[in-house]
Amino acid sequence: MEPLNENELNQMLRKWEAPAAPPTLTSGVLEKRESSWWRWLLTGTVRIPVPVALAVAAVVAIWIYHSRPAAPHRVAQPGTVSLADFKPVRQLQPVVVTGGQK
Amino acid sequence: MTDNEFKAAFEEHKDAVYRFAWRMMNSPAAAEDIAQEVFLSLLRLPGRFDPSRGPLRSFLLGITRNFVLKRWRDENQWEELADEHFVTHPISIERSEIAQIVAEAVRGLPLLQREVLILAEYEELSLEEIARAVESEVGTVKSRLHRARENLRRMLAPLKPRNSERSEVSHGTAK
Repeated sequence: MEPLNENELNQMLRKWEAPAAPPTLTSGVLEKRESSWWRWLLTGTVRIPVPVALAVAAVVAIWIYHSRPAAPHRVAQPGTVSLADFKPVRQLQPVVVTGGQK
Repeated sequence: MTDNEFKAAFEEHKDAVYRFAWRMMNSPAAAEDIAQEVFLSLLRLPGRFDPSRGPLRSFLLGITRNFVLKRWRDENQWEELADEHFVTHPISIERSEIAQIVAEAVRGLPLLQREVLILAEYEELSLEEIARAVESEVGTVKSRLHRARENLRRMLAPLKPRNSERSEVSHGTAK
């Protein structure tokens, strides 16, 4: 069977017409346009390259590590002094030390 | 992109986007879904359009093409996309109107041939604009278009007017 020539093919192709966009397309786009930003905030996704994600994760980890509250320094409490067991000496025996000899 | 700029772009290009999706998908519902997605993606990422790289129309048709391709891949996971050596047989003309036969023939082309043929013949994009839209070289587009037309000439051979009808066709019944 002999194929169509260029002119005949062009004539044939022109016979296939496409419809115009339906009105529902306009209403659909305009409706979704109104809600697109908050909808995106709820359901949207963001593509991040892996190296960037790893770098961000490392920075966040370092920041968290350095910004944690420091352990409080322990201050020694002064010991309590009780005089309950204190007993006065019975007899005072003074010792005089002179020149390192008794 | 301001609200008014978006509305103007939508009004100006909605028919071209819908027509292209409709011819590619063979489904009004799918074409409408795709056209919606195209304009919403323009709204979300207006910065992706660079006027120095070509007109908005071919940019939008390029996005349309990507959505069509995505759907096609979802539905035909195991089919080869680039069927470069596809050769068709004449189609039956007994059961359909000419327009339906032409539609069937175009939709019977491999996807990569179909898209360049539709963009060239029906949306009247230049080869450079088509190349940008389908992310290929101009030479590749040219050869796909040539193969698409060769295939169609064979597929539509049964519609070839007889000698007595030739003069009528050559004067043109098309718009």
